[in-house]
Amino acid sequence: MMRLPGIGLATFVLGFATAHFFVLDALPGNIMSKARERMTASGIAPHEWRMSPRVTPETQTIVRPSPDLAYAICVIDVSDGPVTLSVPTWPEYGSLSIFDASTDNVYAGSLDARLPDAPGARTVVVQMEGQYSGPAKGVDVVTVKNPEALALIRRLAPSQGLYDAAAALLPVSTCGPA
Amino acid sequence: MKIISGLVGLLLGAALGLGSALAAAGIIGPGMKFGGAVDVSGWVSDWTIGSEAANPWTRARVARHGLLALTKDEAVYFTRNTDQAGDRLIEDCTYRVSGGEMPALWWSVTLYDATSYLPANKDRALSFDQTKAGLGDGGDSWSFIVSATGPETGSWVSSQEAGNFDLTLRLYKPTPELIADPEGVLASPAIEKLACGGPA
Repeated sequence: MMRLPGIGLATFVLGFATAHFFVLDALPGNIMSKARERMTASGIAPHEWRMSPRVTPETQTIVRPSPDLAYAICVIDVSDGPVTLSVPTWPEYGSLSIFDASTDNVYAGSLDARLPDAPGARTVVVQMEGQYSGPAKGVDVVTVKNPEALALIRRLAPSQGLYDAAAALLPVSTCGPA
Repeated sequence: MKIISGLVGLLLGAALGLGSALAAAGIIGPGMKFGGAVDVSGWVSDWTIGSEAANPWTRARVARHGLLALTKDEAVYFTRNTDQAGDRLIEDCTYRVSGGEMPALWWSVTLYDATSYLPANKDRALSFDQTKAGLGDGGDSWSFIVSATGPETGSWVSSQEAGNFDLTLRLYKPTPELIADPEGVLASPAIEKLACGGPA
């Protein structure tokens, strides 16, 4: 009889630890997957830059958006080969960042034209291991473990005029097969 | 009896494990705070945000409350939900937030409600940033009011419809000195409660 509580306690600890860490491990990928699904449902096709509306309480779609920034997003899938991004710099703060399927920020490059050695445009290749064999000069190569990723442009644009200027750069920005 | 005892223990443990994981991530309830790896006078951050080095609890909470957050080389995020006296920030009170130079290329302070979204108001007063601070134009300090209704003068961030809220300080392109010694380098903004129950 004395052993029964011990068995129950042991299985309780086993059940707790298994469920706790399984859920914690799965949550980031699950949340990222749902975010991609929402983007797709809103008409965002893979490999095209899409400007997010100016951030307001009415337009916010992800948690903790910054109302001072203009965002543009590209849904990436490297299942069929690497994807190249090319994004012009910006006269104020700006960045180009890549997030993998488990929400890790695997790349962040400045778009701030004021910084020393700022390029006119930042070029990044997103690949899975061994996919990209092109030139490496002037290109940042980012390797992801899973084929799905997101690219995000942030540009400081607290006014409608600056937001419009940021949006005007999308036609000269690329996100597509290398 | 052994089998029944084992099954009951397993089921109870799994249920509690599931619930505690969702709570830690902030999907149930307000969620756990970050581990407090960085705490500058109540402004809390975690230098592992966005990176593979983040522990499972931080990763889950960031996915829920800060999806697409950048790593510390590009940006750091400090959050605070209490005033200088340690009281919870609430919509019913008026606060003055003040500070000085920030160790970053650009910075902002934004108000979010308890669900991590911008409060559902139409005041168009959602944040205060380096541009509004006007540092370098003769002043070396700044301040703004947080309240549900706008002050007669000065800068304002609206807490209308925010309920219990927090403030997030974003520092973009933080200096290496800040990353190395946040407690020693960051002169964190002060949040002073001015009044409660109506306009100050």
